[in-house]
Amino acid sequence: MRLEGKTALITGGRQGIGRGIVDAFLSEGARVTSCGRGPRPEGLPEACHWEQADVSDPAQASALASACPSLDILVNNAGVQVEKTVVDSTDADWEAVIGVNCRGVFNMCRALIPHMATQGVIINIGSISGRHADPSMALYNASKAFVHGLTRSIAVDHGPDIRCNAICPGWINTGMLDAGFDLANDPAAARRDAITRHPVRRFGEAADVAAVAVFLASDEAAFANGQMFTVDGGMTAASPLNPGLF
Amino acid sequence: MRLSGKIALVTGGRGGIGRAICDRFMREGATVYAADLSEGGSLAAPGGASRFVQLDVADEDTVKGVMQQVSDEAGHLDILVNAAGIEIEKTIEDTTLEEWNRSFAVNVTGTFLTSKHALPLMRTAAGQGQSASLINFGSYDGFIADPGLAAYCATKGAVHALTRAMACDHGPEGIRVNAICPGYIDTPMLQSFFEGDGSGGGGKTIDQLQQAVRDVHPMRTYGTPDDIANLVTWLASDEARYASGQLWVLDGGLSAQVQQMKL
Repeated sequence: MRLEGKTALITGGRQGIGRGIVDAFLSEGARVTSCGRGPRPEGLPEACHWEQADVSDPAQASALASACPSLDILVNNAGVQVEKTVVDSTDADWEAVIGVNCRGVFNMCRALIPHMATQGVIINIGSISGRHADPSMALYNASKAFVHGLTRSIAVDHGPDIRCNAICPGWINTGMLDAGFDLANDPAAARRDAITRHPVRRFGEAADVAAVAVFLASDEAAFANGQMFTVDGGMTAASPLNPGLF
Repeated sequence: MRLSGKIALVTGGRGGIGRAICDRFMREGATVYAADLSEGGSLAAPGGASRFVQLDVADEDTVKGVMQQVSDEAGHLDILVNAAGIEIEKTIEDTTLEEWNRSFAVNVTGTFLTSKHALPLMRTAAGQGQSASLINFGSYDGFIADPGLAAYCATKGAVHALTRAMACDHGPEGIRVNAICPGYIDTPMLQSFFEGDGSGGGGKTIDQLQQAVRDVHPMRTYGTPDDIANLVTWLASDEARYASGQLWVLDGGLSAQVQQMKL
């Protein structure tokens, strides 16, 4: 088991990618705590400890840090998305997206880094959308670019003690992805079109992202620091032209 | 005029993009050597100082000969634009070794040879108080792949890395090195791509194909050779005196997108 004896805190482990990382870390032998704004989710594995906390609130982030002394691995996964252009985005949208995706990651890193074990690991969930724009996802795209920049900064500033990397998932089968397709005129056709844009001809699963997280958290990745690791089935390696056009 | 008194050499100077660069350079006051395999048209040089020179960028002897001519006539070279390039529209399985080698010979070795033999002349130009400017042609395909263009994508990735390496090595000598990375530009090469073997598979007419390509661009059009010439002119000019080692993507926003899904 590759994370035997390590302690890990994974924010936003209720569902989707976060839940996939919780499951993978448990099966690799880590002692896992997760957190979210709600009470303990039904179906969360018994072995996973749950803290009810909102990472966008600095006080609650500090309380989480106290609950996780000498932490080995912090995974900043909690995130929200709002599907709007800049012009359509409200102040409340800004608070929601920037509050969780940017301030939440900042709060957690600031609270946890001084108390982490030596050789600590931080893994942030960035996005391919932080490098290239998804349409009508302006605040989300920008928030993920912030995560990438913060990842590099932490890697540089806290280098000897902490390794910090980001994972940039592509289109992963989660409720967030379903919400995107539900906006399409023809969700089924949109799904088919999207899949043909993936050289591997499928969307990702939470386990695909979790597999990268396990590697980055493990000592195998001891020299990986300050980088963005894209896991998207090859989608962003291809030009955005319509599949089958040529 | 922004390139007044400058000596420039443009490889691929009679091709779609190269021709626009030569015309623009001349209007901006440069003396232009338009280098290409064949003349393919009159250069119509105002003042008569500019000329066509026959050049195969993959052949070191002709490269040396052309640089000797520039040396004899002008004594230095302020601007080198490596615009010569070819495109093989195939996957790697369909690409013959000969096609692969020819792609690298023109796109990569050609850039190497003309740069190598132009550098002494550019060093002379830079020694006269101005920076010299070397401009390579990369491509947005050096970052993200179009289907069925494997060798081309690989050569452009090589040009990107070579650009950064040359900028590091020759910056201290006053030579700026940048690459332009065009997206879809309306040239004979693009029309050949539309008409190529790959386009038949979708059963689309060339008009439909062109419209579909326009539609996927945030600007809803593809570019013109003049769009490229505008940026090349700026990079060649002294306004760009602090620009070096960069890859300048000019693609109407195409590669800023993740993917343009049909929603």
